[in-house]
Amino acid sequence: MTTTLPRPAMPSAPVAPADGHAIEAVDLVRTYHTHLGVLRRRKIEVPAVRGISFAVRPGELFGLLGPNGAGKTTTIKMLITLLLPTSGTARVMGYDVVRDTTEVRKRIGYVFGGDRGLYDRVSALDNLRYFAELYGVDPDVQRTRIGALLEMVGLTGREKEKVEGYSRGMRQRLHIARGLLHDPEVVFLDEPSIGLDPVGARELRQTVQSLVDAGKTVLLTTHYMFEADALCDRIAVINAGRIVALGTGSDLKGAIANRTIVEIETFGVTDEAVGRLRADPEVGAVNTEERDQSQILLVQSERGAHITQRLLGLLGETRIGKVVAREPTLEDAYVHLIATTGDDEARAARAASVQ
Amino acid sequence: MSASRVIRLVWFVTWFNVRMLLASEFFILTTFISPLIFATLAFFLFQSGGGTAGQTLLYVALGAGMMGVWSTTLFGCGGAIAWQRWEGTLELLVSAPSRYDFILVGQTFGAVVLGFYGIVATLAWGVLLFGMPIEATFPLVLPLSLLAAIVSLGSLGMLIATTFVLYRHANALGNLLEYPIWLITGLLVPISVLPLWIKPISYLLAPTWGMEAIRGATIGAEPPLLAIAMCFILACAYYVAARYTLVFVLDKARRDATLALQ
Ligand SMILES: Nc1ncnc2c1ncn2[C@@H]1O[C@H](COP(=O)(O)OP(=O)(O)OP(=O)(O)O)[C@@H](O)[C@H]1O
Ligand SMILES: [Mg+2]
Repeated sequence: MTTTLPRPAMPSAPVAPADGHAIEAVDLVRTYHTHLGVLRRRKIEVPAVRGISFAVRPGELFGLLGPNGAGKTTTIKMLITLLLPTSGTARVMGYDVVRDTTEVRKRIGYVFGGDRGLYDRVSALDNLRYFAELYGVDPDVQRTRIGALLEMVGLTGREKEKVEGYSRGMRQRLHIARGLLHDPEVVFLDEPSIGLDPVGARELRQTVQSLVDAGKTVLLTTHYMFEADALCDRIAVINAGRIVALGTGSDLKGAIANRTIVEIETFGVTDEAVGRLRADPEVGAVNTEERDQSQILLVQSERGAHITQRLLGLLGETRIGKVVAREPTLEDAYVHLIATTGDDEARAARAASVQ
Repeated sequence: MSASRVIRLVWFVTWFNVRMLLASEFFILTTFISPLIFATLAFFLFQSGGGTAGQTLLYVALGAGMMGVWSTTLFGCGGAIAWQRWEGTLELLVSAPSRYDFILVGQTFGAVVLGFYGIVATLAWGVLLFGMPIEATFPLVLPLSLLAAIVSLGSLGMLIATTFVLYRHANALGNLLEYPIWLITGLLVPISVLPLWIKPISYLLAPTWGMEAIRGATIGAEPPLLAIAMCFILACAYYVAARYTLVFVLDKARRDATLALQ
């Protein structure tokens, strides 16, 4: 995959937004109304986004990072005019996403991860031609634009094949080509690396980087901290519909920089033992990861490595494997943020939405 | 958007949808087989009823063919929206800068093109298998009547399809609309046998005029010019109605989050 973007054949005059932001969200709120039950239908409200504000500079690569159901997709769909906010406002390139939908739509590209969103029964080329028409791409430049995009996402030579025969990664790359057909100024990528193998994911990150190099503003959502850290200029961590941290990767790491992470491998640790760790005043947070045979306890503390003995003491009879004390990573910062910010209301909302 | 761009867009969408529909086995079955089944039924019913006159047979066969075309249209216009929602492309169409009503018109034309096939197939079937003579009182008007009839079905399909944008489970609604339209627009039985109170509704539905246009050209005493004109007038009215319904419907869909499946 090459990293050069097709140059727009016609100079697309960049309209500098009045306030200097490519994307601006102010107090965005979105509540879904749905029903529970089949016979006795009960109305429920799902507060998906509960007051989100941020601003993205032109040319910036901005990441939205958060767990499942945090409200990332909902936020994006409001910004790309597919959902109306329950309250709050947002602008893209200076245009209001509720009122000036056509102006916004001309300037944005939208790519989501996964298998959907393509016409499987026709070729990739037919898909691109069709969307080029819908996106109002000038007929004179369609052919060269499509050719350049196929080249960029590495599908040249396979464009005449039906999409139903495409692999996940090829589909994802076709999605990206589709989203860039009209040379949008702002590109929204909702979990673009979902389902890609490591090589595919790395190529995708190169492609995303090349978008920014070509001067585009990119808003990206992801579950992967390392991806956010590697790519994004700034990251907003969102949890349960709220931004719980916003800054560069090192800003986020800084929040727990003075902490030490002690990784303890255990075999058959009990909830009580974990509870004893959590209750200890010297311990910041405890997270557990299940492995095949063992459990890894990730214990955060401000006490440095010498807390290890104390922790092992608290675990009592538990069988212990490897123990490592190390510096926190962005992942630890993220886990810490998510663990400490999900309030009761949010937990209730999440519980309601999974039923 | 300039007029030439709009025409180009509609043309593109039409052909894209013809190809998409032809790639669906279920659709091919409906489009290619159902007019023939209905026509066959009509031939047998007609014969067992003692009918012999060639022109009346043609009228009956075309009525049956129209029933099949209505099924095609309903699936081609409305079903396509339900299916695009399922495929995740509906959101992409709606969030494209092109006006969605033009896209819908293109989809409708796509269904109409295939509907035309349904009529031709019915005629060929009648001639080949049942020795049906293609005799009409106004043979030169007949092609125009057929076009008007198909446009009438397509435009009604388009109007109904606008509501499909709104409801995630509109497919069930669509299936429900298949039979009543056969009945009240005179495709199944002449509307003269329907209760009086239904007639005002019938006359607001373009296919009623479409069927009248066919009747007029095959067995009528005068050329059915009024009926043909009414088909095109109502089709334009339906387009205007569809356009304004879409403004409302798309706004509501953005409010209620019904464009995607989740
Ligand atoms: N159409 C809908 N109707 C009702 N609830 C919805 C709808 N779409 C999303 N939700 C709920 O809103 C909340 C936020 O969902 P959203 O899809 O924005 O999360 P996300 O951060 O994108 O999650 P993921 O990482 O799983 O994609 C979830 O609780 C979800 O169940
Ligand atoms: Mg999501």
